[in-house]
Amino acid sequence: MSDYAHPEALVDTAWVAAHLDDAAVRIVECDEDVLLYDQGHIPGAIKLDWVGDLNDPVIRDYLDGERFAALCGSRGISNDTTVVLYGDRHNWWATYALWVFKLFGHRDVRIMNGGRARWIAEQRPLTRDIPQHSEAVYRVAVRDDQRIRAFRDEVRAHIGQPGAALVDVRSPQEYTGERTHMPEYPQEGTLRGGHIPTAVSVPWARAVNDDSTFRSREELEQLYGALGVTNDRDVITYCRIGERSSHTWFVLTYLLGYPQVRNYDGSWTEWGNGVGLPIARGAHP
Amino acid sequence: MDRQEAIEYLLDHYEHPRNHGALDAADVVMPGGNPSCGDVVTLYLAVDATTDTVARLMFEGQGCTISQAAASILTELAAGRTLDDIEAMDFNDMIDLLGREVVNTRPRCATLALGTLKAAVARYRRRGTTDGAS
Repeated sequence: MSDYAHPEALVDTAWVAAHLDDAAVRIVECDEDVLLYDQGHIPGAIKLDWVGDLNDPVIRDYLDGERFAALCGSRGISNDTTVVLYGDRHNWWATYALWVFKLFGHRDVRIMNGGRARWIAEQRPLTRDIPQHSEAVYRVAVRDDQRIRAFRDEVRAHIGQPGAALVDVRSPQEYTGERTHMPEYPQEGTLRGGHIPTAVSVPWARAVNDDSTFRSREELEQLYGALGVTNDRDVITYCRIGERSSHTWFVLTYLLGYPQVRNYDGSWTEWGNGVGLPIARGAHP
Repeated sequence: MDRQEAIEYLLDHYEHPRNHGALDAADVVMPGGNPSCGDVVTLYLAVDATTDTVARLMFEGQGCTISQAAASILTELAAGRTLDDIEAMDFNDMIDLLGREVVNTRPRCATLALGTLKAAVARYRRRGTTDGAS
């Protein structure tokens, strides 16, 4: 992991095992399957629900600063806590949670490489005991929507700009317009299929190995660089609701050290329903 | 049922699914899907035409714990019920049955199987009309 641009953003399972009782560290499980945590989790880990905890219950948006501070405080997380996220599906939702933590500028938040699958594969201990962490004080931080988050109009202005790169991390079938959701997943109510013009296709899971760990820096540089997504570009990633693309955002930002990467969380569920927005179909940008 | 009991109830059905598998004698095979998180179920409905009741309901599927546990629970709940009963079943009742406190952030996962069963009943009734069957 030391070869990555920001190796401090990633810890391995052994590191987590050695820090289970570290009061400065909070281990957090964030899954797509909301009951996986209840089937067994890393001892001392708390649960974060990407639907119930991170999203506004009414508006399509994230928590504001006050509610995020209240959430963290109630889970025993202070501004100085080292938060280590892990989860199912190659850490897909863990990276999404990390991106949200970074919207609020949380300083030290990391991903456990390999996620839940690797912890279990290594036959490390799981428990169903729910930890009782003391409430912490979390100073309210204003959510910064400029630095790592992109909105629809910004994406539209991004199309065709010199030095800009758009990365569509959905499946090839979604990219071409054949489907509006992943293979094996049901079709849903996005009105149009295809991709944002000029976007290149790099499905998010190509960044991980079979054991859910991230591929090497060299492999990742080759993967993205071959399609012109290099560290001198102003990059925007997108998928369907911004969760798969947060994974790619993490890879580009922390593993490859790209200085300017934003995640468009409106993604295809906004773009594919937008009136008058340009769409390209087929296998080419 | 408190929160922990609801979790145990769901985990039991997820880890030991009832009426799981395909049913060759099904009158209707109905796929269903949840667009929000990728849960899929296929229900196999066999109807006792003499009483208009569910003779057997089986399921196959994949997805999150809630969606698959709910399908298993529904196969037990629906057995022997009339088709009118199925049509009258309420999504809120299903959520309460599963444990509202646990599943309330995943309502579509919780009601996927019931919605699919209602669709299966509708298809059975339409087919009966089309085929001239009783």
